[in-house]
Amino acid sequence: MTSPDLAAAAAPRDAVPRRSAASRVKTFAGELPLALLVLGLVAGLIWALSGDSFALNILATTLLFAGLAGAWNIIGGFGGQFSLAHSVFFAVGAYTTANLYLKLGISPWLGIWAAAALSAAVAALVSWPVFRLRGPFFAIATMAFTEVALAIGNYAESLTGGTRGMSIPFRLGIQNMIFRDRLSYALLMFGFMALSLLVVVAVNRSRLGYYLQAVRDNEQAARAAGIGVLRVKLTGMAISAALTGIGGGLFFMQVRVADPAAMLSLFEFGVKFALIALIGGLGTIYGPLLGALVIIPLENWLRAEIGGTLPGANLIVLSLFLIGAALFMKHGIVGVGRAIAARVRRPRP
Amino acid sequence: MADLVNVVTVGILLGGIYALVSVGLNLIFGVIRIVNFAQGEFVMLGMYGAYAGYAFLRLDPYVSLLVLLPLFFLFGAVVQRLLLAPLRNEPSMQIFATFGLLMLIENVVLALTRGTAYSVPSPVSQAGIGLFGIQVGVVRLIALAAATAAAVGLGLFLRNTMPGRAIRAVAQDRAAATLMGVDVERIYMITFGIGTALAGLAGCLLAPIYSLSPQIGTSFILPAFAVVVLGGLGSVLGAYVGGFVVGLTEALAGYYLDPALKYAVIFGVFVLVLIVRPSGLFGKVGAEEVGLRDQS
Amino acid sequence: MTAPLLSVRGVSKRFGGLLAVNDVSFDMVPGELVSIIGPNGAGKTTLFNLLTGQLAPTAGAVVLDGHDISRLSPNRRARLGLGRTFQISQTLTSLTVIENVMVGAFLHRRGLRRAAERAEEVLHLVGLHDRAAIRAGTLTLSERRRLEVARALALEPRVVLLDEVMAGLNPTEVGEVVDLVERLHGEGHTFLVIEHNLKVVRRFARRVIVIERGAKLVEGTAEEVLSDPRVVEAYVGRKRAA
Repeated sequence: MTSPDLAAAAAPRDAVPRRSAASRVKTFAGELPLALLVLGLVAGLIWALSGDSFALNILATTLLFAGLAGAWNIIGGFGGQFSLAHSVFFAVGAYTTANLYLKLGISPWLGIWAAAALSAAVAALVSWPVFRLRGPFFAIATMAFTEVALAIGNYAESLTGGTRGMSIPFRLGIQNMIFRDRLSYALLMFGFMALSLLVVVAVNRSRLGYYLQAVRDNEQAARAAGIGVLRVKLTGMAISAALTGIGGGLFFMQVRVADPAAMLSLFEFGVKFALIALIGGLGTIYGPLLGALVIIPLENWLRAEIGGTLPGANLIVLSLFLIGAALFMKHGIVGVGRAIAARVRRPRP
Repeated sequence: MADLVNVVTVGILLGGIYALVSVGLNLIFGVIRIVNFAQGEFVMLGMYGAYAGYAFLRLDPYVSLLVLLPLFFLFGAVVQRLLLAPLRNEPSMQIFATFGLLMLIENVVLALTRGTAYSVPSPVSQAGIGLFGIQVGVVRLIALAAATAAAVGLGLFLRNTMPGRAIRAVAQDRAAATLMGVDVERIYMITFGIGTALAGLAGCLLAPIYSLSPQIGTSFILPAFAVVVLGGLGSVLGAYVGGFVVGLTEALAGYYLDPALKYAVIFGVFVLVLIVRPSGLFGKVGAEEVGLRDQS
Repeated sequence: MTAPLLSVRGVSKRFGGLLAVNDVSFDMVPGELVSIIGPNGAGKTTLFNLLTGQLAPTAGAVVLDGHDISRLSPNRRARLGLGRTFQISQTLTSLTVIENVMVGAFLHRRGLRRAAERAEEVLHLVGLHDRAAIRAGTLTLSERRRLEVARALALEPRVVLLDEVMAGLNPTEVGEVVDLVERLHGEGHTFLVIEHNLKVVRRFARRVIVIERGAKLVEGTAEEVLSDPRVVEAYVGRKRAA
């Protein structure tokens, strides 16, 4: 929270703004240059690492999770609805893409859009009753839903392969979204991250974005402003789940083998999306990307270095990050950056 | 018919276990207004505590209890003081923190045990009693009796002792309790300590029943949440009765539908209760909404 | 005779055995400023909640411009033209002042830029334009009250309902808010003010409705009402007894 004296310093009463307050509210077009610059920097990073297939691999995962955390942030950060069900939307997207490809021969490039639609539909349907609950109770209900999905996933063998899992044969070809080189996957995930980022900017710089934040801050005040709270939550959830479903489809096409227990893992997906958003900065546009750039490479390193000797070591470190951020860094990397910027701009007298 | 009796018996015994796990969770929620995602991990730690007592000191789990309960109480008080007290009025951060604790405990135990499954024998663990022509494990009956004793004992403690009354005063109105000279932070530490000790108790009693694994905590926490929502948030009686409702539902669903779908059935009941009576069977109306409302 | 804009027809609300609001009726025409007063516990807030949709009446109807809105949700009522403030101020603390008002302005202006422009106009009206870019959570109480009025005005409401908008303010701040309401009323806005503070009601000096034990006690000009012995008894008599 900004302390009152800081805020007072931020807008001295005597200083009459040169430009009107309305013109300083950023629109989509106003935010776009920064978003494109950030995407350009990430593209530069891919180019710089293009010879190193190990680094490209980690980068691809990082960008996938950046896009997924950004998607979670729409409903979790801006909307303040702490969903633990996103691994379900992720899995729905994955199995939709995989089944369309394996059984009907539909290219994953088309399948991911069906995945987006189905994930959004599942999300809206499940959230409708659950959105009566607030805060931790919403989180509990979504967590329970993950367990239910796992039971159904293991049960519906024809769609998921059951506990034995499901695999996609290695058939090289751009139409199959199956590549040999790591660069192609990095570019694929970059495309996903860019899509997610642009959707986040579009939502954030729109009426819906403001309505989501109003619902997060105070539902009663939101209603008094004419906002249909349930409808806003459902819309935010559907957009968030649609992006998550696309991410699930891309993930499955990259790993090509998974079982429901892996796809619906709370620690590996559902909670990790939230964790990355928290580390980067909840409810910020670029926080999830920053969070992913820190967490995913760190986790890869931990897995490689100590994962073999100490099972679960990477999750121990992640959980310490989670607790530490909750206690000491509530606004994440973006929050720390803003605090530093505020201090630099206004040195203490 | 014999099948039905069998299933109902299994359900009641399971319900006793769920009630035992849920009472502490619901006490913590009712007083501190924190949903403790790590409660199942405390149960799991209780099981490993019983194992440690057996492995290193050859103690029976029912004897280990005497040492473990005070330890769990202290552990809970420390968690409340260091982790949760700074996060008052920040519900999202509380979720992150208690979920972080869940991940931490589960994976620390995983790292320490390398995932080896253990079991804890007790002299009575193999014993059974014939009831209505069904063999019932004595350890399960003990768990059922302990759940009842814990619920009754907790109820008496809250009603008839000074600390108990102070806890209830804080649960009802934190501001008023503060004005009456109650040290709210201390009450929170005591409450979280009691809630944790109850989880530890559950763990010790369950150690002879289940095979130990680091992941077992998560398999308790979801039914426990269902119990809490069903029984009413913050109600000790509700947690006790809710335990049996969930236990019976799970047993019936497992027998008549498919064991794989029992969670789906519990979730269905859960959602139904939320729609019909969001405050649960014994809860105060509106309690489900206090999650985001600060009481100050 | 102008057709009533807001018409409250025999509204009652029962909580178990308690009749919190008992058969209250009154009409408001466009451009009016009506105050509802009453001692603590008289049922003012319950009546207010029946008007804004937090509660549904047990009997009777609330009619806005010929449409029965008694069963509509608060957000539907807001869309039909009921703007309101809260007794305990409810600002959107993580948004800036102008963004708080934009949330209201979006009701009729879809585009971000247009909503922002409308919000800025409203901020000028309430005198908060120089605070536009700061976080609402850091405002003083009196500023938060004005921000809530601004958010309500941004809805372009037919009627603005103010719930004890002076509560917790010092006399200078009360004067500022009274002046603001007077000025907005002069510009044609319709206000229904729930107020505990008799001095404020006297300043408004318009039509006053007194509520006592859930029912309408008297109705008239401020002067008539405040010199009515029954009103004096309701306020002063209670105080003596207490």
